[in-house]
Amino acid sequence: MSGLPGFLIDDRLHFPSCPSQGGQRFLVEMAAPLTLLLVLAVTIRAALFRSSLAELIAERVEVVSPITAWKRVVEGLALLDLGVSPYSGDVFHETPLIIYLFHFVVDYAEITFMLADVITAVALYMAVKDYNKQVFRKQKFALEADRYPLDCLELIRSPKEMYYIPLKVAMFYLLNPFTILSCVAKSTCGLNNAVVALFIFSTIKGNTLLSAIFLCLATYQSIYPLTLCAPAMLYLMQRQYIPVNFRRASFWWFIAQYLFMYLGSLFVLICLSFFLLGSWDYMPSVYGFILSVPDLTPNIGLFWYFFAEMFEHFRLFFLCVFQINVFFYTIPLSVKLKEHPVFLIFMQLAVISIFKSYPTVGDIALYMAFLPVWSHLYRFLRNTFLVSCVLLACSTLFPVLWHLWIYAGSANSNFYYAITLLFNVAQVGQPGRSQRRLLIESLTETPCSPLRKSQNEKSY
Amino acid sequence: MKTHVLFNLFATFLLADGLNIEVSVFDFSLQLQISHRFVFLILNFTRNVAPLLINTQLFTRFLSRISQDSAGQFFSSGHTNNWAVLVCTSRFWFNYRHVANTLSVYRSVKRLGIPDSHIVLMLADDMACNHRNPKPATVFSHKNMELNVYGDDVEVDYRGYEVTVENFLRVLTGRLPPSTPRSKRLLSDDRSNILIYLTGHGGNGFLKFQDSEEISNVELADAFEQMWQKRRYNELLFIIDTCQGASMYERFYSPNLMALASSQVGEDSLSHQPDLAIGVHLMDRYTFYLLEFLEDIHPASKANMNDLFKVCPKSQCVSTPGHRTDLFLRDPGSVLITDFFGSVRKVEITTEAIDLTDPIKEVEERYMHSYVDQLPVSEIIHQKPKQKDWHPPDGFILGLWTLILLVFFQTYGVKHLRHIF
Repeated sequence: MSGLPGFLIDDRLHFPSCPSQGGQRFLVEMAAPLTLLLVLAVTIRAALFRSSLAELIAERVEVVSPITAWKRVVEGLALLDLGVSPYSGDVFHETPLIIYLFHFVVDYAEITFMLADVITAVALYMAVKDYNKQVFRKQKFALEADRYPLDCLELIRSPKEMYYIPLKVAMFYLLNPFTILSCVAKSTCGLNNAVVALFIFSTIKGNTLLSAIFLCLATYQSIYPLTLCAPAMLYLMQRQYIPVNFRRASFWWFIAQYLFMYLGSLFVLICLSFFLLGSWDYMPSVYGFILSVPDLTPNIGLFWYFFAEMFEHFRLFFLCVFQINVFFYTIPLSVKLKEHPVFLIFMQLAVISIFKSYPTVGDIALYMAFLPVWSHLYRFLRNTFLVSCVLLACSTLFPVLWHLWIYAGSANSNFYYAITLLFNVAQVGQPGRSQRRLLIESLTETPCSPLRKSQNEKSY
Repeated sequence: MKTHVLFNLFATFLLADGLNIEVSVFDFSLQLQISHRFVFLILNFTRNVAPLLINTQLFTRFLSRISQDSAGQFFSSGHTNNWAVLVCTSRFWFNYRHVANTLSVYRSVKRLGIPDSHIVLMLADDMACNHRNPKPATVFSHKNMELNVYGDDVEVDYRGYEVTVENFLRVLTGRLPPSTPRSKRLLSDDRSNILIYLTGHGGNGFLKFQDSEEISNVELADAFEQMWQKRRYNELLFIIDTCQGASMYERFYSPNLMALASSQVGEDSLSHQPDLAIGVHLMDRYTFYLLEFLEDIHPASKANMNDLFKVCPKSQCVSTPGHRTDLFLRDPGSVLITDFFGSVRKVEITTEAIDLTDPIKEVEERYMHSYVDQLPVSEIIHQKPKQKDWHPPDGFILGLWTLILLVFFQTYGVKHLRHIF
């Protein structure tokens, strides 16, 4: 109840002035702290780039994976200069557009990755700001329609609380050690994050075409953002006031439009990639590699240990099981969370970063940046201490057990995989808990809650 | 006198020829198959008289024929020295029996005459001085401590971690670093009969060394081929006592190899009996019965390989021992056990006198050797590779930027176009 600027009159809540003026005020006022934050982040990254830690970090398996490693990009470009397709052999697993990009900027790679981080942060900042505006507007309408019972005052958000959230989001992303490590290692995960952040920004802004195009770029680079189609469609439909109802024609028409744009741009991108190198080599190298997981270098994911000890006979079956696991949660989650599509995006990002075939800490950093958006739920989360301790402990234990396994020889892969499992369990716990509280919060907004009825009766 | 002697000589040697009497001009303990004292006396007599008759052309022709026939029979094995390479490949206390196996073969081989200088003994672990051995400095092969195969004069050449696949193959092929002492080398030549005995844990096509590496049957066959090509053996007897041991000799392809194994592919070789005082199994079955068989062999024994193949039938061994003789040029029935397990030294008699007084003539160099340049190395290393830069195709750049522009104008509206045009 503390910090609420509203006041009670006749058992009804009143809030002062409309948020749109405040919104513009926010934009002007927040530019300076944001710039400061960006400068700080760039300084940290530049300092780390100059130090000797850069090479050390670039070869850590938690930070780079066979898909995202910078070493492989350089190798691929070198192969291209020698006249050989970069996809020959098991070296390069990134898309041809990355080849095109880095062909010109390979000397300025550090600046490129820092720029990618900056773009991600700014995109997330503006996206969350816009989202907060809409949330606040929705809340205002709901308040005026008397949909909130009195005992849920704690969950009402005020402009003052939400003032700093976008900056916090940008800060969470830029100053996250995971992001910094990912940037210093020059992992192409940073570029992927930038594209996903731009997708989120364009979705929240309501631009269907840009949203489809950025999603297509993200999917083109790694297949898993495909699952973000559903929340994007849900959000855009709600923004355009199309009812999310299977029986309505407008629903299917919108879906058809979006999918057409999405698939069309995907098709165009794939054909364009063909024209870059003149061959379809990149398809098995990029998509075949992501889906069939031939490289079993240990990472923070779940695939390597299983597939290292699996018999060939069952490999296809378990491959299907593991890959379906990523896509499986989309439909149930969309059904459950159709009122909260941005939260759905957050959940999907978490699911992707846990269950994808070659996760790195860069993927985790992206969804962790969203945590401040639902900070009003923190009070109600259980096991916060436990989960955060587990995450912290696992993050520190990863390099320790790696050293013990590979260099000292006194541990083995089981130790490392145990920490991986624990890390992923903590990750699963984290959005899961937030989801629980969000659902409880959403229950209070439904017009059918019994408390509200009694309240209405009281007021008349 | 001379003609009488000549006639007698001729007759006796004909007789000897016909009766298949094996003669040894030095070893009088050899039993004659048909005891013919008369023949024996005449032979003695001829030995003493022969040098007097050397210059007779007829006699020399007879003698050469004689030396070919009886010497041919006597020297039918063709070897002049014996070597043994005995390897135990497993470590740890519970593999006591493998060390006991190897040491019992070592003991037999030494007893039958092969000296330590001609034995390369490789033991992967030390059982006699293992701290778990309740009877230190002993390795028993039979329960109730009947037979201590360790003895007082065991010379182990490769011990502990020195027993590796690499060292084993280097010993066989002779490719050792120059600093290797003679006791660690197999200095065999093309008249050596070599006995190779391997024991340890094995599987289908491999033998495990030290619990960390393996030697495959292909590698072994290739090592033997190297030995053949370098003329490092005359004949080779290969005995292996492991699980699925027959798989190890499946790939042999060099001549003059005979192989024995304790079990067929798909079978396990089993251990014999545990000793409750020591707490481990003391021997493997096959080697136990092999040791029993060898205890009955003495240097003058006439037992041949067919008897060795009968050692440890399935009733005793539970596994089926196997053998391979198709690469061996002689008939196994004519191969003595002592040809491989013992060191019966034979000397060739020659009737020719070698003149050692003349100086050795230098072989003239017919032509100068020179190295032919196959690769123009100097050209290659000094030539810098041409840097061919790859450029993305123009169509791609055009297509990409057109799309980007289209999206830009779609998003921000066509009115911006007016600012450009």
